[in-house]
Amino acid sequence: MIVAAFATESALHEAVAELRRDRACRVETYGAAPPPGMVTSSIVPLLMLGGGMVGAMGGFGMQVYATTLAYPQNIGGRPDLSWPSYIPASFELAVMGAILAGIIGYFMTVRLPRLYDPVDEAESMQGVMTGGHVAVVQGTDNAAVLDTLARHGALRIEEIEP
Amino acid sequence: MTAETGAKVEDGPLIFPTETPHSLTEHICATTLHEGEDGWTPLWWWLGLGFALSLLGMGVISVAWLFYAGLGIWGIDWPVAWGFDILNYVWWIAIASGGTFISALFFVLRAPWRTSLNRLAESLTLCAALCAAIFPILHLGRPRFFYWLFPYPNTMGLWAQFRSPLVWDFFAILAYVLCSIVFWYFGVLPDLAILRDRAQRRWQQVFYGVLALGFRGSGRQWRHYQPVYGVMAALMAPLVVSVHSIVGMDFAGGATPGWHSTQFPPFFVFGAALSGFAIVLLAVIPLRPAMGLQPYITPRHINILGCLLLTSSLCVAYAYVMDVFSTYYGPDPADRVMFAFRLHGLYAPIYWGTIMLNIVFPQLLWWRAIRLKQPVVWLICLGVLIGMWLERFQIIVTSLARTQLPSAWGQYTPTVWEWSLLCGSIGLFLTTFLLLLRFMPMLAIAEMRSMLGNRP
Repeated sequence: MIVAAFATESALHEAVAELRRDRACRVETYGAAPPPGMVTSSIVPLLMLGGGMVGAMGGFGMQVYATTLAYPQNIGGRPDLSWPSYIPASFELAVMGAILAGIIGYFMTVRLPRLYDPVDEAESMQGVMTGGHVAVVQGTDNAAVLDTLARHGALRIEEIEP
Repeated sequence: MTAETGAKVEDGPLIFPTETPHSLTEHICATTLHEGEDGWTPLWWWLGLGFALSLLGMGVISVAWLFYAGLGIWGIDWPVAWGFDILNYVWWIAIASGGTFISALFFVLRAPWRTSLNRLAESLTLCAALCAAIFPILHLGRPRFFYWLFPYPNTMGLWAQFRSPLVWDFFAILAYVLCSIVFWYFGVLPDLAILRDRAQRRWQQVFYGVLALGFRGSGRQWRHYQPVYGVMAALMAPLVVSVHSIVGMDFAGGATPGWHSTQFPPFFVFGAALSGFAIVLLAVIPLRPAMGLQPYITPRHINILGCLLLTSSLCVAYAYVMDVFSTYYGPDPADRVMFAFRLHGLYAPIYWGTIMLNIVFPQLLWWRAIRLKQPVVWLICLGVLIGMWLERFQIIVTSLARTQLPSAWGQYTPTVWEWSLLCGSIGLFLTTFLLLLRFMPMLAIAEMRSMLGNRP
């Protein structure tokens, strides 16, 4: 695993673009802010939609079950299945289901919590969230990768065990 | 500095031009991590914490006595069976709305000014929602059975009454508190990683490291982060509206004079917006100089919040006018008797205080010069918060004191235990907020770094 630190964000992204284009390797960037122009596609909003639907249908179903099967009671002459009354609680549970699915789905997608990662061994990763620009490359042709990183002005290049 | 003098404040900077991503990170980290001169824990914080803890202690004693002696220690009785408990709950939950309006609604609307305010506002939301959440439990006759509100299969064969707004309210508060915590935590996650990387002391590295859960700013983490945050914001905005609508329906669902009105849900949303913007301004104005936040929260922010406060005050004024109109246009004489009591009965000073503090004084904010006089804006906001408390008092107490049957009329005088509980809740709010202020970044560092872009 090769870890390279760059002085600027543009140098990092030029190097990463070239590596991704030319080399058969896996490249990941690290930085304190989202890379400019990043494609923000994610599956998590779909999981949130699923969580919201589970919340809504589960909440509505629970109320139908409770008021028609488990504990039917005549309240002010209203029918047992007073479905309009079930909407507010179903909505609240839908939002809660979606938000919880969002945070759980996010953690699962990006594999968090992960308090230790082998990349932490690299000195370049110290303080990356305070303003560093780091690329981590995993591949076979280390010499070619090192050459590309050096050509794009990497400040520090480290090789660490994955 | 033109912005400080008020000239062209609408076009003024949202962040001072001298600030860079590096200076922003250094300043906020130094404050939060207690480093150097900037991070010295100031005297005002210790004094504030001492004051907050003394109020909180008062509240703890009050709750302990309440649990021992029961609800009889309060001034509530028939016909006024709801007193400070529900009043304080509605007041706090309205205060809690400000952070969500600013953080979620204005994120969806892509308002760039909210970035400097969202963390502070969300922290206020968390603390206020916590205060609100305790009152429904305290007001139960047998608080140890609070879990009966949860719909769970039980051997008693008992379920909650799902047709009642009071049960909807249970779901609303549960969802709001839980979602506010998740939304706040998700927003602060990258900043916790920044603090972990910046911390020098071992306990801070461990503390922020554990809370950051291993967020390292990888491309993968950022790629999924932004859409999820956006969807959460888009969900939080209708959630806050629904919560306050349901609080309004708690009252509208009752056949009590002055409550049984279809305008209550929007009326309560307007009131929530008014108190929410007021608490944010009330906190932001003194914290700017106290925490050196002037470069990031500028007079332009104060001006915008002042405009929002004025707008929500006008919405509340509309609701008050409609309250009068529907009472006198409607067919129910009991409504008119109750309203006459509200206007010139025992509690009339509370009604007129509400009008003055929520409607009349905020009209001063039409003038830009007033909006930029921060001490005056601060006093208006303090007045609004007191006014909103008085509004809840007149809605709850005067309606219950003058129901349909004159034989059931009565009055309500709070006892020392209710006042001490109110003080205790203020203490809880101040204590939690001061702790967040000291140990959590009060600006969204990662978001603001993106906003500052490539400034050298």
